[in-house]
Amino acid sequence: MKTTLKQIGIILLFSGVISFLANSVHPRKIPWVQDWSNQVEAKAKAQKINVISLAVALDKFQAADTVFIDARPEAEYAKGHIPGALSIPIQSLEEQFPVIGSLIDSGRDLVIYCRNRDCDDSLLLATELQTMGASTLVLYIDGFDLWKKYGGATSSSPADSEDTVPPAQGIDP
Amino acid sequence: MTRDQKTYRLAYWIASFIIAVTLLSGYHKILYPADFALSVYRFHLLPDMLVNSSALYFLWLEVVCGLCLLFFPRFRVAALWIALVLLVIFTGAIGINLIRGTAFSCGCFSNSPAARPMDWLSVARNGALMALVGLALCGFKHSR
Repeated sequence: MKTTLKQIGIILLFSGVISFLANSVHPRKIPWVQDWSNQVEAKAKAQKINVISLAVALDKFQAADTVFIDARPEAEYAKGHIPGALSIPIQSLEEQFPVIGSLIDSGRDLVIYCRNRDCDDSLLLATELQTMGASTLVLYIDGFDLWKKYGGATSSSPADSEDTVPPAQGIDP
Repeated sequence: MTRDQKTYRLAYWIASFIIAVTLLSGYHKILYPADFALSVYRFHLLPDMLVNSSALYFLWLEVVCGLCLLFFPRFRVAALWIALVLLVIFTGAIGINLIRGTAFSCGCFSNSPAARPMDWLSVARNGALMALVGLALCGFKHSR
């Protein structure tokens, strides 16, 4: 038993040394201490907004009662977005009040997204919607960039940005 | 073949399986440490200042245990004990997050954002691995 404890100590110590050395020379090395509170995800958690990953967003995309909301500027939305997503850039929030009102009243699940994990427009929009009474919203944190990279469906059709709540997706009559 | 030899052989094969699992689980974490740190952060169990250092330490501890099982027979029992403790810690962390209702992958075998979120199957898988580690430990102990 004493020998095993000694060997455990050696493995623990060696792992510490090798992790230090490996991280020093690693091409993708990370800082030993990082302030995670600056991350959009951490801010969302602090505001009690649920955050979802790409896998869950892809599942929700198939659900009939989910509306995706694109918080990026109009120009980025026009280049490509998640099919059926509404464009509500945070800069033009006031113009979209009628749409937002009908969205909240519809009681459908709202999935708000932005460009990537560092883009906080979606968080700002989620906060506004939460203040306005939306209780079924989640923040898709990985954003449109990863959605596209991992083969999620995309669209550049401007028809999606009509001033109405989009119809349910993924259901064939 | 004596009973002790049979027990040792069984423990050896189980240990080989555990080597494969630890190395398979460790290599993508070594290649992309930032992604693994994000997975550790998403468990929300450690203070921010300990997230990166714990991620870096645990990923190498896992790989070093796998290498000890593979190349250093004298260290096998010690490596298995560490693997068992790591599995208990990871399984506990997954269980806590499932109760909290997380929507993220555990980062156990993949860094991909498209990886399935953790579920009770992850707990069952870890439970099975713990049982195997326990069996290997018993096997090596009896064959000494």
